[in-house]
Amino acid sequence: MDDTRQRLTNCFQVVFPDLPQEALATASTATVAAWDSIAAITLMNVIEEEFGFQMDLDDLADLDSFEKVYSYLQKRLQVA
Amino acid sequence: MTITEALRITQSVPRDARPFPVTLACGFTPLHLQTFLAAHLQLALPDRKVTIAPGVYGDLAGTLEAIGETAQVDAVVVAMEWPDLDPRLDYRNAGSWGLSAANDIVASARVMLDRIATALSRIPAGPRTALSLPTLALPPLFHTPGWQASQAELLLRSDVLRFAAEVAQQGRIAVINSQTLDTDSHAAARHDLKSDLYNGLPYSIEHADHVAAQLAMTVAPPPPKKGIISDLDDTLWSGIAGEVGPEAVTWDLSSHAQLHGIYQKLLSSLAESGTLIGVASKNDPAVVTKAFERKDLLLRPDQVFPIEVHWNAKSGSVARILEAWNISADSVIFVDDSPMELAEVAAAHPGIECVLFPRNDYAAALKMFQQLRDRCGKERVSKDDALRLESIRRGAAFREQVSTVATPESFLKDIGAVITFDFAVPGEPRVVELVNKTNQFNLNGQRYTEPDWQKLVTQPGAVLAAVSYEDKFGPLGTIAAAAGHIEGRKLTLDVWVMSCRAFARRIEHQTLKMLLGTTRAAEIEFRFAPTAKNSPLREFVTTLTGEEPKGEFRLTRSQFEAKCPALYHEVREMRRAEAHG
Repeated sequence: MDDTRQRLTNCFQVVFPDLPQEALATASTATVAAWDSIAAITLMNVIEEEFGFQMDLDDLADLDSFEKVYSYLQKRLQVA
Repeated sequence: MTITEALRITQSVPRDARPFPVTLACGFTPLHLQTFLAAHLQLALPDRKVTIAPGVYGDLAGTLEAIGETAQVDAVVVAMEWPDLDPRLDYRNAGSWGLSAANDIVASARVMLDRIATALSRIPAGPRTALSLPTLALPPLFHTPGWQASQAELLLRSDVLRFAAEVAQQGRIAVINSQTLDTDSHAAARHDLKSDLYNGLPYSIEHADHVAAQLAMTVAPPPPKKGIISDLDDTLWSGIAGEVGPEAVTWDLSSHAQLHGIYQKLLSSLAESGTLIGVASKNDPAVVTKAFERKDLLLRPDQVFPIEVHWNAKSGSVARILEAWNISADSVIFVDDSPMELAEVAAAHPGIECVLFPRNDYAAALKMFQQLRDRCGKERVSKDDALRLESIRRGAAFREQVSTVATPESFLKDIGAVITFDFAVPGEPRVVELVNKTNQFNLNGQRYTEPDWQKLVTQPGAVLAAVSYEDKFGPLGTIAAAAGHIEGRKLTLDVWVMSCRAFARRIEHQTLKMLLGTTRAAEIEFRFAPTAKNSPLREFVTTLTGEEPKGEFRLTRSQFEAKCPALYHEVREMRRAEAHG
């Protein structure tokens, strides 16, 4: 597992502590009941703290799965 | 604290920990405020599982009114903001900011403040309630430019302050100090407009953390320090008394020594509130005696005990002062202008809080004064607080006399001891305070929140006794308490504490005798648990049962009567109304 994926996994574990490890990679708003609008904002803030950059609230609606968030992070980290 | 840290704190609690349910009443989306509040409360209450239930969005008053009907919570936290008083003060609201709106907003805010005050007053006794007043800036809807306050704005603010003063007067509602919040949370960094408009949370993350921290401290305040041990030269006063003479040390404005005068005033004020003040100084005792005879001293000599003055190590002085006060080092602050002395005392007394007196750093001095007030400050001051130092001084005289008489019997017979039992004190704050701060003669070390205490003393068959004592050496005030319940002929004691100031007077024997007599119990079951500090209680029990208790135990009436020594107290039994005259 690459470093970004590992750090993102840690973020998901903090926000969704009841989610089994094996379910993290396929997690999405459709599969995780606890992933509501409040949890989405909390997840965004936890990711900001972990990766040290600000995310735009406007991007939040599109970041509805672990994989999408991972792709978003890869792009942001490449730009940085 | 970061959000990640806050989440980890709340997730690290054992699932079987006793719940501590809290209602968070706020009109906005609580989001991070809720997360931080849970984390800060969890840190303050490590043996509880804090759960936060937010109220209804946009309806702070309605949330409070609903609590008034149910009240199954341990705490209520109210985070008020301007939109709670009138929706037009909400950036998310489309209401007019026209000229006519301002006066109407003031009028409707008054109505809402009255409604909230009524709802707060109807919250049943039990939950601890903390209230934060609006922390964000008012929107720019008033006609004046930003550097000038409009009349409407001033009226709004004065109405809010009047409301706060009135609800705080009720005693059950604690209002957080905006001055402290202003210091911690920069005004310009509080409002996150984007978060406000997108999510309904107007607070920046940092501000949410600061507000939550202060609300949590108000709900579950740390126990205040019990005493301050102070150095003299260049601390209590400016100058070295042994060099310049006791008449030449200063603490006044004209000598540029006012920092020491402020320090003396603060110690005097803390002493009046029951904080013990002692002195540890390397000095000539005769010089110090003369300095303490000065009439312009702002800390009265009778507010200080003991005074340890000699040339030996200060750690030894601190040890003797702790022994005289009969409290542990972690309940005490040591103040000195010498880092070396602070280090020496800190090494010998782990847990003691050492504070450097910053002689020439005025900003640091200001912080230190606030720090001492924060550490020793109390929500309320009882008449027992005022008695504490004097009773310790008398206790020293008592022990000295005991050591000189041939037998304790003749001494105890002649001291004119009077014990008063008060059986009607469920809401008396002094009793809960005594239970929560007594370590040595304590049945099990259990600490109680106000709701827990209410449950205990209102259970079926509840028995509660507060014990006060006086003798020819003076009154000790309320020094013991016992609580439990009677069922048939068995009395179960969940709580039994006695202040260390009251040892060696057979008050513990008289308490058991009184409890057995009043309840007509044939035996007492003690909900005992050993703690690191309750060896005095264990030793007492051993004298009655013949073996050191390891856990819960029973004592029969005949067992007690066989071992109880002669008791010489005059015993009075009274109701609270009588006790307060």
